[in-house]
This record gives sequence, C-alpha cells and structure tokens, in this order.
Amino acid sequence: MARRPHLKAGFRRVFLAELRQIGARPGLMFMLAPFPLLLFALLAVVFQLGLPRDLPIVVVDQDRSTLSRQMVRVVDATPEVMVAYKAGTLADGRLLLLSGKAYAVVLIPSRTERDVLAGRRPEVVLFYNNQYMTPGSLVARSVGGALGTVAAGISIEARVARGADVESATQAVTPIPVRQSALFNPSLEYVQFLLAAVMPTVLQIFIGASAALSFSRDRQGIAGLGRSLRLGGTLLRTASGKFAPYTFAYLLVLWGADALLFGPMGARFGGSLAFHIAYGLVFVLASQMLGAAAALLARDTVSALAAVGVITGPAFGFTGITFPRLSMNGFSDVWANLLPVTHYLELRTDNILRGAPLDISLPAFGWLVVLALAYGAATLLLLWRHGRPRPAAVPEPAR
Amino acid sequence: MIAAFFREIVAALNAIWADKGARSTMLGATLFFSVFFPQPYLSEVVRDMPVAVIDQDGSTLSREVIRRIDAADAVAVARYAADMPSARALFLKREVHGIVVVPPKFEQDLLAGRAAPLATFSDGGYFLLNSVMSSALSNAARSLGAEVQVGRLTASGVDMTQAMAIVEPLRVTAVPLFNPTGGYASFVLPAVFVLILQQTLLMGIGNLKAGRRPAGPLSTLADTVVYVGLYALWAGVVLVLLPWVYRLPRIGDIAVMYAVVVPFLFAVTAMGFAVARLIPTREGVIFFLVVLGMPLFFLSGVSWPTEAMPELLHVLSLAIPSTTAVPALVRVNQMGADIQSVETTILVQIGLCLAYSALALLVDWVKAKPAA
Repeated sequence: MARRPHLKAGFRRVFLAELRQIGARPGLMFMLAPFPLLLFALLAVVFQLGLPRDLPIVVVDQDRSTLSRQMVRVVDATPEVMVAYKAGTLADGRLLLLSGKAYAVVLIPSRTERDVLAGRRPEVVLFYNNQYMTPGSLVARSVGGALGTVAAGISIEARVARGADVESATQAVTPIPVRQSALFNPSLEYVQFLLAAVMPTVLQIFIGASAALSFSRDRQGIAGLGRSLRLGGTLLRTASGKFAPYTFAYLLVLWGADALLFGPMGARFGGSLAFHIAYGLVFVLASQMLGAAAALLARDTVSALAAVGVITGPAFGFTGITFPRLSMNGFSDVWANLLPVTHYLELRTDNILRGAPLDISLPAFGWLVVLALAYGAATLLLLWRHGRPRPAAVPEPAR
Repeated sequence: MIAAFFREIVAALNAIWADKGARSTMLGATLFFSVFFPQPYLSEVVRDMPVAVIDQDGSTLSREVIRRIDAADAVAVARYAADMPSARALFLKREVHGIVVVPPKFEQDLLAGRAAPLATFSDGGYFLLNSVMSSALSNAARSLGAEVQVGRLTASGVDMTQAMAIVEPLRVTAVPLFNPTGGYASFVLPAVFVLILQQTLLMGIGNLKAGRRPAGPLSTLADTVVYVGLYALWAGVVLVLLPWVYRLPRIGDIAVMYAVVVPFLFAVTAMGFAVARLIPTREGVIFFLVVLGMPLFFLSGVSWPTEAMPELLHVLSLAIPSTTAVPALVRVNQMGADIQSVETTILVQIGLCLAYSALALLVDWVKAKPAA
C-alpha cells in the first residue's frame, strides 16, 4: 500500500500537526474551551443577583419609642438591607460586625423621640464596616437614605404645623434635589460591570498560557523549533498555523460567553457588532503573541507559564475597571497600556455600554493592534533565532 | 528517630532550594506579587476626578454650588460646557467622568422656596467613579440647600435654633468603622495578600510534588513542617511588614493572627499534596492555580458579599482554605477581631487539613492498588 504523501510544507500542515498535539493531550483540550466556560459559569453564579439584597445589619434601639420603631421599620424595608439582629448595647453590635455576621450597626440613643419633639436635633449614628467596602458602602447609602426620609417626614410635619401647605413643605425639605442618572449602565448592574470585565481578564490568562505551552513544548522537544519551521516552510506560516487552532477555540469561548451574557442573562448590547467582532479578534491575537513571546524568552515550560502568570494574573487591577486609571501611579499606567485586556475592556465599555462613535475608540483599537504587532514581531524574531538550523555537533565551549 | 527527622527537614529545605520552580514560587513569587500587585491601588482614593459643568443659570448661587462641588477632594470642575452634546463628547473621550447641569432659574427657584434640582450624569460603567460623583454632589447640594433654608426661616423671624430644628430635626451621622478613609488599597490588599500566600504555596508544592511518587510518612511530615514554617515567616512579611510599608491600617493582635495563619497553612499544605497527586504535571498545577486566583478572590466575600451568592456555591467554596481564611484574617488584622470571632474559621481550617490529607492518602492507595 502506497503511503500517502506528506502534505506540502505550509500553514495547513502546521495547523494539522498542532491539532494532533492538542488531541493527544486531554488536559490541553479541557483548557481550551470547557475550563474557561466553567469558570464563566462560576462567576456568573457568583454575581447572579446583580445587586446585593438583604445585607444583614444590627440595630441598637435604646429609645424604644414610636419614632425609633418607625426608623427600624423604614430601614428594614429597604431592599438592600435587612435588620437581622437587635442588640442591647453598642459593644454587642460591634461583636456582630467583628465576627462578620453584620455589615453595620444603627444606634438610636435613648430620648431620641423626646429630643426631636423638643427641637434639640438628636443624633442617630450609623456605624458601617468600610473594610468590606462594596457591601459596607451599599449599606451606608441605603440606611442613610432611609433615615433621611424619616428625618424629612418630621421636617415636613414641623413646617405644616407652622402653617405651610404640604406641597411647599415637601419641596422645602430638599431644596436642591440631585437627579443623578448614570449615563451608561443606568441600572448599575454588577453583571455588566464585573462579570463582563472579569471574564476577558481570565481568558487572557488562558490564551497567553496556551500559546506559551504550545511554543515552549516545541522548543523543548527533541527536534526543537526547527521541526515546526520545516513543517511550516516560512516563519509566518509556521506561527500562524500554530496559533490558529487556539485562536478559533478562544474566539468561540469569548463570543460564547458574550452570547450567554447578552442572550439569556439579559445584558444590553448597545454598539456595533462588527466592531465588537473586530476588536475581539485582535484581542485574542495580541494575547496569543504575548504568550508566545514570553515562552520563547523563558528557559523552560514551567518558567514560560510562570512568566505568563506574572504578566496576566494580576492584570485585573491594572485595567482600571475597579480602581480607576486616572488615580494610578506612573508605573501602573504604563504597565496597563502593555496589557491587551486593558484596551479590550475600554473598547468594550465604549462600544457596548456607551455606544460611542468609532472615532472615539480609535486610540484604544490602535493600541491593541500595535500590541499585537509588537508581540507578534517579537515572536517571529525569537522563532527565527531559536529555530534556524544550527551547525550540528559543534561542542559547546567548556565553561 | 529525631536525627532522621532532622535529616528529612534539611532534605526538604534543600529540595526547595534545588528546584528552580519551587524556589521561584515559594521564595521569589511571594515577594514579587506582594510588591507588584499593590501598584495600581497605592494612591488609595480618587482625587480630583474631572467633571464638566453646564451652568445654564449663571447666577451667584449657581456659581456657589459649583464652587462647593469643586471644593470636594474627590472631584474637580475641569471644563465648562455650553450644552449637553459638547459635554457628552468630553465624557466619551474620557476627558471628564461626570456632568453637572445647573438649570436656568436655579437661583430664583431656590430663593422662592421651590425645589431647584441639579441634574448630574455619572459613569455607570465604573462604580467607584460613579459613587465619587454621587457623594460629592449630594454633599454640595445638601449643605447649600440647608443654608438657604435656614436663611429663609431666620429672615421670616424664626430664631436660629428653631430654624435648624425645622431644617434638620434629626441628625443622621454615618461613621465608617475600619478603613475610615475608604482607601481602595486598604480594602483590597489585606485580602489579596492572604490569597497570594495560598496560591504561591500551592504552586510551590505543585512544582515539588506533581508527577512524583509520594514519599514516606516521615519525609512528608518534614516537608509539611518546612512549608508551614517558611510560610509562617512569609505571613509575617506580607500581613504585618508590608501593611506597615504601604501604610495600610492594621490594628490586630499578631498572636490571634497566627492562631488563624497556622491552621490555614496546614490546610493549604494538605490541599497542595492532594492537588499535586490529582494533577499529574507541574505545568498543569501552575496553570490551574494562576487561572483560579481571581475567582477565589471573589468567593471570599470581601469584595462581593457572600449573602448575595447562592447558598450551595458558598458551601462548596468552603472547600478552599482561602474562602474562610481571607475574611477571618482581614477581620483580625484590619478590624481587631479577637479569637472568639474567628474560631469557626480555625475549626474549618483544621477540618480541611484533615480532609485533604485523607484525600491525598486515598489517591495514593488507589494508585498503588493496580501494582499490588
């Protein structure tokens, strides 16, 4: 039986060789699609509520009056907060905070009602746990708002008692109402905010690591990168053939996660789909090039992975999604610009959340393209250096 | 026996030093991440976030409210815009992160006792910027509004105390306990440092043990003592020394901290042995741990409250030592919690240590059977 002739050297041959490599490693296959999608599902479940509800707080009601009971009722009625504990003293309330069972203590001192009626302006104090900043500030805002309505009610009554009509009394209570609206993401959903940002950041780790593994393994193999280059014929064909299977896989994951986000999870998509596809593609390519360049610089596979981990692992803090870039130090600002995910998330925000015109997004898109080209050029250069045929059997000079 | 144990201890220390991967994760990476990771957060709070103002009134009081907004530390009035489209364009270019509109007749309405609303537009895509905007605006509006009201009442013959009592019959004061400045580094870093300890220790064990044959009980015991001992030192560096360097608040008792740290490190070490047996390659272990870092941070409940997660997920996440150790150590170090407040966590860590040790032994037993 005649053996089938080898495929001609080129993209297809490297591509198929890479596919065979992936097929031979179940661990790698798991990493390509199921694992990132599982993590996405995990994060989606974590943030499923969108906004926290019924966060437990403590009330220390030392007044036990009609007014204090009204305050407790109003606070408890806010959706974000639940009066879970009633403590006798502030010290007991503090213990509940320290053991992590509650996020805030509302202290209503004795004689509050009497002092209000006498016009002595008593003070109700809300102690909130600002160490847990997200729930802490949420609780502070909603409890503060609820107690503010109670105070406003008293103020209206006082004015009406002095002969004002209800409408002007109501207007007088908040002379300068602030009508705040969030320009984008008006519902202030955490799903849009965190999940949509965390997923690409985690994916950047996967993409970089898989590229690093692929190149590093070839380099550590007996035949070395020379073999891959022979399969591909040219540098460009070799690199693109090796990248392509992963590009396809991760684009599917990226867009699959988006499909879930904008489909069943109901996030709003307000921008251009074509542009979304374009910067998604460049993001995946840039992250692959970053991983490959790191792999070709590192000495072995474990160091290559460690390098990718160091670069992509802490990336989230630098993207400015949580703590804004305008308040970062110079180093962080430069470093953030070197990470593909920073620009990808900015483009996502511009396009999906803000529906910004394309010219606004050009600088960020330019950054992403430049990063892809720069890391790609580094990959090709290193591939050429490590993969060119070496004069065989020249002994290393003794050190 | 004792001598043999000491030989094993020396062997375990040598193994860490001799293995490049273990050396760089257990010695290098811990320190590197503790320095690198904090960088974006070091300024702690947002200062002078640029906002645009559209002043359609141009009156004394409109300028006064704008001055008060500008006076807030967190925001700065950077641009005056003529109309909404031009302000919006500045917003899209990220030259400003908020827009304030002072409507026409602002002063007239305010002085006449009618509601004089301010319209503000903030950035819902960035939560911190959004809340910075909302607190700066409501403070400026409330203080000016109260002054105008008190002025009106006193002008109509009410005395000052009574006017204050009408305008603000009940004072509501919000006091942040712990992290009083609301610093972002003070909030994130104490939790992240604990996670760095866990992840680098797991990676180090993965480097040393993944794909190798399990050693005897004496050697495993010596390894455990060395890892826990080494990381107890690291815990001192990243949980006590670094917070001091970065000026993060830390008010906890070090003895209570170690009462949590030591069982936590035993649990992580046992988990490391189990993971190294379940994932056969070093690359696999490292990759798995790098990817898991961020999800584990969110599961700890420091940033996203556990109350908002499904109960089942929270119960499952208890299997990871950091899930309970991160909040417990934050409570001890940053909030000054005593040992009673964290005793559940200590028990959970001891339970995890036993469970992962049993799991590791079970894997050994299953793997050994076919050979027998």
